Amino acid sequence: MRPLRSIALTIAVGTAALALAGCSGTSQASTVSTQIIPELKSDQQVNITFESYNLAQAGVWTDTVKGLVSDFEKAHPNIHVTAQAPQGGGAVGSNTVSSVQTQLLAGHAPDVAQLTFDSLDFAATQLGAQPISDLVGQKAVDDALGGAHPFHPNAKHLADWNGKTYGIPYVFSTPVLFYNATKLADAGITNPDLSTWDKVEAAAKAVSAKSGKPSLDISCASIGGNWCMQGVFKSNGAQVLSDDRKTIGFGSDAAVDTVTKLAQLTKDGVLRNADSSAQSEGLAKGDTAFILTTSALQGSFMSAATKGGWQLKAAGMPSFGGKPSVPTNSGSALFVLSQDPAKQRAGWELIKFMTSDHAYEQISTKIGYLPLRTSLTAAGGSLYDWAQKNPLLAPNLAQLDRLQPWVSYPGNSYVQIDDILGKAVENVVYYGKDAKTTMADAQKRAQDLIP
Amino acid sequence: MAFITIAPPAQPGSLDASTDLQPSLSGPTTAPAAGRGRRRFASLRTVPLKTLPSHVLLIALAVVSIFPIYWMFVTAFRPSSDALSTNPLPGPLSLENFQYVLKTIPIAGMLANTFGMALTLAVSQLLVAILASYGFARWDFVGKKALYLLFVGSWLVPFQVTMIPNYLLVSQMGLLNTITGVVIPQLCSAFAVMMLRQHLEAFPKDLLDASQMDGRSSWRTLWEVVVPNLRPALAALGIMLFISAWNEYLWPSLIMQKSDALIQVGIRGFLGAEGNNWGAIMAASSLACLPIFLIYIFLQRYVVDAFVRSGLK
Repeated sequence: MRPLRSIALTIAVGTAALALAGCSGTSQASTVSTQIIPELKSDQQVNITFESYNLAQAGVWTDTVKGLVSDFEKAHPNIHVTAQAPQGGGAVGSNTVSSVQTQLLAGHAPDVAQLTFDSLDFAATQLGAQPISDLVGQKAVDDALGGAHPFHPNAKHLADWNGKTYGIPYVFSTPVLFYNATKLADAGITNPDLSTWDKVEAAAKAVSAKSGKPSLDISCASIGGNWCMQGVFKSNGAQVLSDDRKTIGFGSDAAVDTVTKLAQLTKDGVLRNADSSAQSEGLAKGDTAFILTTSALQGSFMSAATKGGWQLKAAGMPSFGGKPSVPTNSGSALFVLSQDPAKQRAGWELIKFMTSDHAYEQISTKIGYLPLRTSLTAAGGSLYDWAQKNPLLAPNLAQLDRLQPWVSYPGNSYVQIDDILGKAVENVVYYGKDAKTTMADAQKRAQDLIP
Repeated sequence: MAFITIAPPAQPGSLDASTDLQPSLSGPTTAPAAGRGRRRFASLRTVPLKTLPSHVLLIALAVVSIFPIYWMFVTAFRPSSDALSTNPLPGPLSLENFQYVLKTIPIAGMLANTFGMALTLAVSQLLVAILASYGFARWDFVGKKALYLLFVGSWLVPFQVTMIPNYLLVSQMGLLNTITGVVIPQLCSAFAVMMLRQHLEAFPKDLLDASQMDGRSSWRTLWEVVVPNLRPALAALGIMLFISAWNEYLWPSLIMQKSDALIQVGIRGFLGAEGNNWGAIMAASSLACLPIFLIYIFLQRYVVDAFVRSGLK
């Protein structure tokens, strides 16, 4: 039986090698002429595909996006949009690039795709995203981002690359410190000032002393939370990547100091070691009293608070001492991937529509995402009443003024670099590994992956 | 556990004259009822003393295995506000999660689509396995061993390796986003071929020779002699293939970008970046489990037999 098994294994390995060889080479160089693409004729019928990870989530997410696509088709009867969710079995929002890559292999990438900001470098240099400012002209882009209710200045250029606009920011969130005000009141804390980490630690210690268990979750410090961990680093003067995009900064003194301070929260018994799923459910279940996490979870926390009979409040991202906190954004932008001028023009029309005042009215009121046209929430704006009914929005909107972009790492190994950082931060913060050596090792390994 | 006490399924119906002469291929001849009853009584008296630790261990394992299913139903039947409750006892009872699932996704259509896909896959894989294993067991031909090794080899290659090439093939055939695209690359199951070949290797050659002497062609022998004698094994294998196809997730999620076509892909829609709707997930999963539970309830002996055969043969 042994020779038979070895022959079988040889066949299996050979087949695997052949199949893997067929899988390689997904790079799609961006071939763009600088000529502005022509407008569509009124009777010119165009079919485009629009891939959105919101369509992978049942309920208001799918219904809202489908509703907007339907509205678009009514406004543009010559453009037919096939709206689709990304393929593959990953979590919502985690497989946007791999889905496009697989479809590129088969020769039919979506014409417009919603891609997360961490893949901006890869999308522009490898995935074939088209520079929209070249396709339609910078003025058209500026006009689209402007209007009566323009994009927030810090949101406008989050998907710009090398001086060109590759994507139009679509939906994103910022890190917000949600807390259970009822639990804090039980611990004798009312109207807390949670503007700095020291103050958060003091409040969390009081709640933990009352409950006898850790009361704080920081999703930024867990794998998958690097988008906001970048903000925590920046708030303490550290950078994950140098300005020239060549040097990884995980091992810098400021970065080591940052994770050391978070690790101290664990040692002090206030920071809970839990995975990201347990963290987002911890506040809702009443296991914890604080969580620094994406503002996108506001809806589910509000629902849990109403059903659980406790008061939910929110504060901005805490700072380190006197330094201002620097929130980063999660989320995604809309990119044109088609190489066909007619589809590119149709795609641009769709992107303009999906980021219009009307779209944000639908997206914000139905899904709860932050409206990037922030003046819609001001007095006289169509979202004013909605914003007044949602006071938790205030810290989220306020910290847009200090927002800095979620950095996308250069090269094809940007996901691995992110994983290296996530594991290193977890090892230090939750498992007591030495901060200096762990972060230095992570920096070295990540640096080796920078082209 | 119960494997040792449950006899393989009885031969349904009577066979033709030639097959009547042969002993059953489905397992040992069953004893008369009275004798069987005496043995059971005797074993019941001795089991507690000799095998108590084993039974305690098996009961513990059974509880561990059943608990996730129990928890699924308990959560599904709770109000959505209690979805994160850790109370191990059921209640308060509510149909809220089921109502939400029915309102949010076309679950009836999804279940029908998934049933059609699983049934097509099970029937086609069974058909291919019957023909291939009959060929391997009936005739000696040049390259037989190499060909069989290819089947074994294809079984050893992880699905993740062939996933992308298969995807490209389905794409070139224009079958993306169709259930046909999900089914076509899986029409042949190497596992089923291997399993049936083992059964056919043990099939009495005399029976085949007798059939030939009766004037039957190889084709008629297959359908009139071999297949009727293999009914229990085929039923068991068919059930196993159906369950396996029903539980498919990765491949359908790659081919079907419409999230409202197959139930296993549809359930994913309640998982999201903005929190997971556990109540809806459990309600949809409970509904997705129903066909498998029905199979288990009505065809329990065949299901157990399927797993015993696949493990022991």
